[in-house]
This record gives sequence, C-alpha cells and structure tokens, in this order.
Amino acid sequence: MHRIKVTINGKEYEQEVEPRLLLVHFIREKARLTGTHVGCDTGNCGACTILFNGKLIKSCLTLAVQANHAQITTIEGLAANGLHPVQDAFLEKFGLQCGYCTPGMILNACYLLQSNPQPSEAEIREALEGNLCMCTGYQHIIDAIRYAAERMKQSGTVQL
Amino acid sequence: MMDFDQLFVTRNWVGKPVRRNEDVRFVKGEGRYVDDLAMDCAQVAILRSIFAHARVKRIDVSRAAAMKGVLAVVTGPEVAGQTKPIAPRAITKPATQFVMASEKVRYVGEPIAAVVAEDRYLAEDALDLIDVDYEPLPAVVRIEDALRADAPLLFDEAASNVLLDDTLEHGDIKRAYQEADLVIKEKFHVHRYSSTPLENWAMIARHDKASDSFVVWANDQQPGRSVVNVCNTLQIPTNRFRLIVPDSGGGFGIKLAIWPYMVILCLLAKKVNKPVKWIQTRREHLLGGTHAPDCQVELELPMKKDGTILGLSMKDYENDGSFVHTAGIYGLIKFATLVGCYNIKATRAQMLSIATNKGPTVQNRGVGKPTMIFVLERAMDIAAKQLGLDPAEIRFRNFVQPEQMPYTTPSGEIYESGNYPECLRKALALSHYEELKKQQAEMRKQGRYLGIGISAGIEPGTSNLGYYYTSRGIPEYTGNAEGAIVGIDYDGNANVIVGSVDTGQGHATTIAQVVSDMLGISPERVSVDNQLDSLISPFLGHSGAYSNKFNDVDLGAVIRATEKIRNKMLTIAAHALQSDVADLKLNNGTIYSAKDNSKKVSFREIAALAYKKILYLPEGLEPGLKEIAYYKNPMAKLPNKENFNVQLTHSNSVHVVAVEVDVETGEIAFRKYVIVHDCGNQVNPAIVDGMTIGSTVHGIGGVLLEEFVYDEDGQLLTTTFMDYMKPVAAGLPQFELGHMYSPCPYTLLGTKSAGEGGAIGSLAAVANAVEDALSPFGVKVTSLPLSPEKVVRAIRETKVI
Amino acid sequence: MIPPQFEYFRPASLPEALALLSTYADDAKVLAGGQSLISLLKLRLANPKYLIDLGGIGGLNYIRKETDGQAERIAMGAMTTYAEIKGSSLLQSRCPLLPQTASVVGDVQVRNLGTLGGSLAHADPAGDMPAAILALGAELKAVGPKGERWIKAEDFFLGFYATALSPHEILTEIRVPLSAKRKSAYIKAARRPSDFALVGIAVCLEAGQGGTCERIAVGVTGVTDKPYRAKSLEAKLKGKKLDRETIEAAAPAVTEGVDVIGNIHASADFRSHLARVYLYRTIQAASQS
Repeated sequence: MHRIKVTINGKEYEQEVEPRLLLVHFIREKARLTGTHVGCDTGNCGACTILFNGKLIKSCLTLAVQANHAQITTIEGLAANGLHPVQDAFLEKFGLQCGYCTPGMILNACYLLQSNPQPSEAEIREALEGNLCMCTGYQHIIDAIRYAAERMKQSGTVQL
Repeated sequence: MMDFDQLFVTRNWVGKPVRRNEDVRFVKGEGRYVDDLAMDCAQVAILRSIFAHARVKRIDVSRAAAMKGVLAVVTGPEVAGQTKPIAPRAITKPATQFVMASEKVRYVGEPIAAVVAEDRYLAEDALDLIDVDYEPLPAVVRIEDALRADAPLLFDEAASNVLLDDTLEHGDIKRAYQEADLVIKEKFHVHRYSSTPLENWAMIARHDKASDSFVVWANDQQPGRSVVNVCNTLQIPTNRFRLIVPDSGGGFGIKLAIWPYMVILCLLAKKVNKPVKWIQTRREHLLGGTHAPDCQVELELPMKKDGTILGLSMKDYENDGSFVHTAGIYGLIKFATLVGCYNIKATRAQMLSIATNKGPTVQNRGVGKPTMIFVLERAMDIAAKQLGLDPAEIRFRNFVQPEQMPYTTPSGEIYESGNYPECLRKALALSHYEELKKQQAEMRKQGRYLGIGISAGIEPGTSNLGYYYTSRGIPEYTGNAEGAIVGIDYDGNANVIVGSVDTGQGHATTIAQVVSDMLGISPERVSVDNQLDSLISPFLGHSGAYSNKFNDVDLGAVIRATEKIRNKMLTIAAHALQSDVADLKLNNGTIYSAKDNSKKVSFREIAALAYKKILYLPEGLEPGLKEIAYYKNPMAKLPNKENFNVQLTHSNSVHVVAVEVDVETGEIAFRKYVIVHDCGNQVNPAIVDGMTIGSTVHGIGGVLLEEFVYDEDGQLLTTTFMDYMKPVAAGLPQFELGHMYSPCPYTLLGTKSAGEGGAIGSLAAVANAVEDALSPFGVKVTSLPLSPEKVVRAIRETKVI
Repeated sequence: MIPPQFEYFRPASLPEALALLSTYADDAKVLAGGQSLISLLKLRLANPKYLIDLGGIGGLNYIRKETDGQAERIAMGAMTTYAEIKGSSLLQSRCPLLPQTASVVGDVQVRNLGTLGGSLAHADPAGDMPAAILALGAELKAVGPKGERWIKAEDFFLGFYATALSPHEILTEIRVPLSAKRKSAYIKAARRPSDFALVGIAVCLEAGQGGTCERIAVGVTGVTDKPYRAKSLEAKLKGKKLDRETIEAAAPAVTEGVDVIGNIHASADFRSHLARVYLYRTIQAASQS
C-alpha cells in the first residue's frame, strides 16, 4: 500500500492505496466524486477525462499512485457556483442527451478553449478525438463549444 | 389528434426548443447513474466462457471461494437449479437456456460463474482462480454453417438450428410476378453491429431477509417487462421484487434485455446478505451485451418497365446467435416497413431465425428496419440503373401519394400521414441535387469520384407488442400503452411520474412542456421524476423506452392524467368561486371566471382546499390532487397473419448524401449530408434534431466502421473500442436538416416517432452514394460495412462490395 | 478491467531506477507515460510483478539544440511528451517531422501523458514516432548498469514489442541530426484519426543538383512486426528524379523482404497496397514541405 496525497477541486485527499488502483477509481470511490465516468477499458472513450496539473488526461489510463501531490480538476470543480460558460453552452445548444460523456466533453472543451479561444469546426472535431459520444452525433456538442467560445470572447471570461 | 384549443390553455412551450431541465445535473457531473449511487456494496465479477461452443464438464470454484475478500461464488448449475429457463418470445422451436450456462456454453462470453467480493479488484482476481473443464464442440458461426444438414446443433431439443421459419403472404404476389416485365433480384448481407451506449449495463441488488424480497437498481430500458421476467425466472411473486431505474447513460435498445443478470444478482445478494453490484466492463458489453444480428436477405422486386414495382418477395435469414429470449424478432418487425415508402400491393416474406455460436442479439436502434430499408433502397437504385432512370425518378414513380393517406400496406400496417414525394423534393432542393450532379461530372474529369446517394425510409414507432408472437399463437402482450401520474402539490406546482424510463431523450423536459401548456404554468413549476420505481410508478408490461413510443403513449398518458387533474381543479374552483366550470379559465397558475375577472383562485389555494381544508370541497369529491391515467394507442390490431400492424406510428425521411471516394485507398469522405424528415408535430424541435443526427451517426458507424468480427471458431475479435470502432467527431459530416410536419391523426398531439429514423435511412443513403461514386468502375454494393479494403478490392478485382 | 497486483517503485534518480531494474529485471516493467502500458495491464496482457515509474526522475524531459563541431542536432529527453514535441517551436522550425508525427499520435489526452521514450521502448509495430525516428536517422541513448551506449534507430526495433534495449537498460535520450536541406513528411493510413496506423510512412529527403534526390530515408510502420527503414527502396530512389513513374516503379520495394501482417483491420495484401500508395503521397508531401 502507498500513502498518497491528491488535491481534487481544491480539497486534499490523503489515503492508503494499492499501487494498481486506477486514478478514476480513486476519484469515484475514495473521493466519492462520481461525475467522472467509466465507459470503456482501454482509454478510448474519454468519459473519465479530467485535468491533471492543468493538462487534459484520461484518469483510467493513470494510476492513483502517479497522482501523488497532483492537482486535479474534475467536472465537479469547474464552477463552484452556478454554471461555467461551457456548461451553460451545452445546455443552450442541447450538447448532450444521456449526459454520460458530458463531463469529459466539457473538460475537453475548456482545455481546448484555453489554448485556442476561437477554434474552427475542424479544430473542435480534432480536439474531440479522444471523447466518444453515442447519443448526439457530436454536432450539437460542436455547436455548444463554438457558442461558448463566442460568449466567452464577448464577456472576456477567464476559462478556468 | 386532439383539438389543441381544447387541450392547451397556453401555447408558450409545446413546439419550442425549451432548454432541457435534466441537463443542469448532467453538465455539473451530478447525474445519478447506477454506479454513482452511494451504497455499501459487495462487487460482482462474472466468469465467461472462452469457447464458442463447448460442454462444461466441471467447474471448480474452491480456490476462488477460499480467496481472502471473496464472499460467495455461484455457478451455472447452481443457478439453473434455482431458476426457470429464459422464456422465448418469437421462436417456435423448443430451446432451453438459463441465465447462466450450466451444461453447455453457446458463445464466447456466456456467463458460467460469478464471484462476489469485497471490491471489484478482488472480484476480478478471483475469476482467475476458477477452474473450468470444457469439452469443446465444433462452433457454428455463419448462417450457411448453421443450415448445413450435418451442422452441430445449438439446441438438441430443437433438432435444427432454425428456430423460426415462417412465411407470410399478402396480396396477390403470383399475379405481381405474372404481370412483371422484369424482376430485380439481389442477395444482400448486413453485418453485426450495435449502438453501444456509453454507460455499460449496471445494477445493484439487495435482498431483505425478513420479507425475503429484492430491490434492484438497474439501467433497464423496459422495466415493465423486466419485472415480469425476473419474477417468473426466480419463481417469486411480484410483490417480492422492486425495480428502480435511476439515470441511464444511453440505451438504443441495448439495455432492453439486461434482466437475466438481475436474476443472477438477486441470487448473489441473497447468498451474501449484502447489496451486490455488477458494473459491466466494455469488453463484456461487446462480447455479450447484445448485438443486432448479422443477416442475409434475398430480395426480389417484380416490376414494370416504367419502374412501377408490383410486388416484393423476401427471404430473410437472421443470425440471431444464442439468446432465445429475443431470437426471431428481427424478421417480423420488418413488416413495419416491408414496402418502405412505396405503393407495393403484394408481398411475400419468409423469415428465418438461425441459432449460432455468436453472441446474443437484442433490439438495436431501429430493429431490423435499418436492414429492410437498406435492401429495399439498394434494390431501388439497382432497378433505376437497369431501367436508365434517375434514382429520384424511380422513387417518385412508386411513392405512396399523400391523397392515399392513411395508407394500409398489404400486411395491414397503417401509414397515418405524410407526403413522401414532397419530402424527396425538399431534400433534393436542400442538397442542390442537380448542382451535385454537375459537380460530380466536373470532378470525374479530374479523376475524383463523388457519389450521390438517396434513401427514402419509413421510421416506425410504438410497437404493437405481441407482433413477435405472430408465428407462435397467443401473445402475452398486445398493443401498446403507458401510464402516468400527475399531481399538484401544496404550492400549486405540478409533479409527474411516468411508467417509462429515460435514456437520454429529454422526457422530463418534453413532459413539462406539455403539462405547462395544459395547465397554464411555466415548465419550472412542473417537476418530472425520471426515476422509475416499480413500487410507485404507474407502469405496465409495455413500460419502457423503446420503439419511439414516448411521443405517442407516454405523452398520451401524461395528457390524460393532466386532464383529470385539471378537471378536478376546475371542479374545486367552480365550487369555491360559485361559478360554472364552463365559465372558468386557467392562466398563470390561477383559475378565474371569464365572466368576472375578479373571481379567481390560485392553484395554491385550490391545493389547500384539496389537501387541508377538505370540508370546503364540493359534496362527494375526494380530497387530494393526484391522478393516474393509462393510455393505449387506439389503432393496434390483434396479431393475426392476415391483417396486423407491427407498429403504430410511421414517420418518414429522405437522406441525400454526397461522398467522395479515394479510389486508391478506399477512404470515404462526406461532402454533404441532408436529412428531411417528417415526424408529425414536434414538442421540442431541438431534442428531435439532436436525436435525428445522433441516430444517423449510428447508421454511419454501422456502414463505415463498426463490425463484430468473429473468427471461424466463434472467437470475437473486436472486444475493445480500439477494434470495435465507433465514429468520432472528426470525419463526420455537418448535417443539414429540413422538416415537414404531417400530424398523425391517431396520436393525441399529432406526434410520431422520432429517434430511430436516422439509424434506418442512413445505411442505404451512404451505400447508394458509394456505389454511385464507383459507377465508373462498375462496382455494386450488396453488403456492409464499406471498409476501405472492400472498396479497393471491388474497384480492382471483384466489382462487388 | 482491473490491473493485476504489482509492487510499485517511483525512483527519484536514474541510478536508483537502474538499481531497481537490475534487481527485478525479468519481472519488472518500466512505466513512462503509461498510455499503452496501463491498458495492457487492465486487459491483463501484461502481468509484471514490479512497476518502476520513471515519473519521479527529473531531467528526462527536454528538447534542446546541440552543436557537435559543425553538426547541429536535436536532443530530446525520453520523458518528453507528444504534446511537448507537437508544441515545440524549436522542432517546428528545425525538425518539423517530429511535431507533425507527434500531432497524429492518439488523442489530446494521450499526447499529454504519452512520451517519446515510452513509445519507442514499447515498440508497438504500428507506432507513429518510430517511423519518424527511423527516417530522421536518430540515435537512442540506453543507460544500463555498465554505463551508456548509443543505438541507431534502425538497429533498435527487433520485433513485436521487442527492442535492442536489454532488460537492465533504460532509454534516456533521443538524438536527431539536423540538416537545413532536409524535407520531410509523415502520413498514416488509419480508420479514424486517433487510431494506430494501418500503414505509416515517414520520409526525409534532400534534393541534389537538377531536381534529383540526393538523400532519402523512409521509415515504415504498421506493416510488419516492427517499424523499419525501407533501405532497398531508398537505394532505388537515391539519385533519381522523384516523378510519379519512378516512385511507382520503386514502390513495391517498400515492403521488400518484409513479412507483411494481416489482421481484421487490413489484410497483408491491402497493407502492401496502402504502403505503396502512401509512399508516393508521403514523398510528394515531403518534397512540397
């Protein structure tokens, strides 16, 4: 067992963990933050996407022990109160149906807009390579991200 | 359809793209899917067969049972001893299968034992400690292998691998052949694929010792039927089983038959005296989490030289794999759209359900109709080419005309409304069809291969359950219906519970829109509980999210219950205001007298009368404000072979697609994708658009990428999302949508099915476009998927995909 | 899908990592970014008893230009991520093949954690980076208990997930010679953009007098059990004018002497066909780069 200390959404979690414990299970079962989902076994679906020291990663392809001393943001940490503009855009543009891929999609969108505040449709499609959605066919997700970009440009919102 | 002036008191919400009230929790990561429920559970892992076909000689679980952290192990023979076999629905031959394999395994991935441990890590470790002795049997994988006289039998008791073989004839098909100038004949093959919801199957079972009863939380899609199936299989009365369905991460039919696993979990929960949880892995999902069957369809269209189709004859072989519960339904449901959009007067359909050592098949989005429209719309293009007609023209010559509506097909299916020629005209205009053809000619000069594909399809909804019993006799279920409870609370706000479940369709929002306009309040004042609880929710055997029934019977039940509650409030108001009910109006949460505006009473005050000041109620009126209603579609006929309707609403659409094929690499790139569809009235157009596009992408995935590939030993080679390739955002087209609104006369709101249509029309549209692109090479498309390799091989050698 | 049990070490220095590796060599796996290895663990296709995580070792993550006499070269630490390679302005201006290749590896999330060294040491027969490394004539630094040695990229990949690294060695640096005249491109055939290559071709070439090709190096991935340099093909093209006829005539040599693999995504015949098609396309893209 290894003792690790991980900061998730500003809160510190210190636990003894087995080395093989996947980070996604640490987040879901030890920190009880269930907005990060599991949709596949092989890192293809992106439902478990989180921000890890500011970088977009898949928490099912990371061990919890690798996250010792890491700063993590999950969907629950995106907006303390109310909705982040990207979350609001997903509502406005019907960017979700069953909602299962949504946390990963939203974090992906936030990460994209940080480095590329006005992405083209093609750039958004490319950025979403690692996130599967089975419901929407992606079009409304792309609409939502473009809408969020536009809104954030107008309001000068800092992304994260 | 109802008179909207009678039905609605405002028109502020229905028909508008109202934001989904479900979404706030989902975008914040606060959805509550089964695995998110905060319960202290032991974890289940399931040992699955590594052989496609084998006798199980011995299962030794002693090492696993002795492992630290393991609470219990159960094996197939033990489960079979405590349960009844799985009840078949459509097949006519005897075939005995239990929820866990006992003597024989019939597909790779079939459950043979299950472990409960303190956590999922230990449970998976314990699987490695179970020893199974198999005696492998020859595997039956392809349809032709199963049909061979010396084929090994999947079910000895059936004495054949053909579990259903029935032929239905409607109209004068002999005459159609006699009068025909030519007969288009083609054999098609459609592969196995699935809609694979992003959330895998998930369930928790708890056993209460004192009452010997069970509570199961599961992402079930058809809870009404599951309650029956679980209780029958466990041989317990219904009052010992309670099913709760929380948020569900997508369904598409793939969660319609998860109940066999509930049976296993109940047995385990009882054994360990603790709640047990099973979260299916993606590998398990792809192995045995149900597929659409692969199939072979022999189609014949006797027709006149001018392109008029006189009849349709089909022989349909479905490779249903190994799941007796749903085997056979794919052939029969094709009758919902056997003649597509066309005025075809005679049909003959032979349907065969073939058992093989492939994985289970269950209803996948569109159920058989994607294949039906694929073969029909492919055959239309083949006919057009042979007759020298434009693909649009041959369709115009055969469409059911708007003045023929409602139109009854030879087998008794009723197309309620629609204007099929206009739908195609709109799609051609929106896609700039003539321009595309010019562009195609220009590009060919530069050695580039653009293809244009059209497909016109029917998108049926609301299954008339029992259709699958047509070959068996008396059905356990007939018609279709749903239940709803609508209440007004102390504050005068409305609350709704339905018997159905939501797997992403935005039911809560749509229901709130309808209730709001019926009561004259805003949707924020209508709360809809999406969670189904079989103890509380008004469910029937039909209840669930399938076959696009929501817009018909689910909303029907909500409307009927809301009418009841509205009438009761009006009665109370009339008494309180000393007015006639006929003089009263609803507005913004109050009821007032049209004759005297000053006479008014708020919903809140009415609620106070109903719940608290009950002595002020009119004589004989029950206290309380909660009403239940069940609503059934009025058109359903009893199943009989001469005249039946498989489904009860029929939307339609036209897809026009342009693709460019790289003839060196076989890659297919979208250049245009237009969908014009007609699902009657729409309650929330943005939700309809989202489902139309998403559904179309399911079809595109099936045409281009997704395939369950089995080797000759029945091993599945595509068990991860690396190998079973789902569409990603890059590479998909930007869809352009057009709408028509032909109200359905037989549903309360004039709505029809919305949700499965894209998955139905897209296969043929893309295939037709690819064949058109490759016409300079003389390539014919008769099978799917259209992989780059097949495309290149067809161009260079075989001329057939 | 849960990894098997293993013991985990996170050494703070290279010598410490090497010491662990020499103790546990045969039963140990080295963890870099984990983007391939953790999947294999979850599928239980890899069952190491010991996992040695290089993530705690500083100083293995850099991209820098070095000068050796007249010659310039790029040196990259093995723990440099695909995202860092993709985003490096130094590489974009001096060695664009590397960022171009890194940008088509996996997806955003994978590129943020996956490392160059991890990719090379993992030696997936369809990995993208190996093709580029081969075409660039890179050298790889292996550090072991007996010190360090340099391995040429073309000698590095030995077979299915097998490299010239001994079980006691760790890959620490990748060195790529720079050339002002070099043109390059990497193109892969894949069913979806983020998939492994069915065929990936990396080409580096230098033009000589009169439009002939003075030097050419072709790295190929996805085709056989290991990424390789198509040397007989290079010999056929060197000194020639690279017009379509010449390339197509030489193209069959791209898989010469190679046992081309077939699987559910592409048969051996189709892979060979794609290799020839993409050879032409990549050379064309390189010459226009």
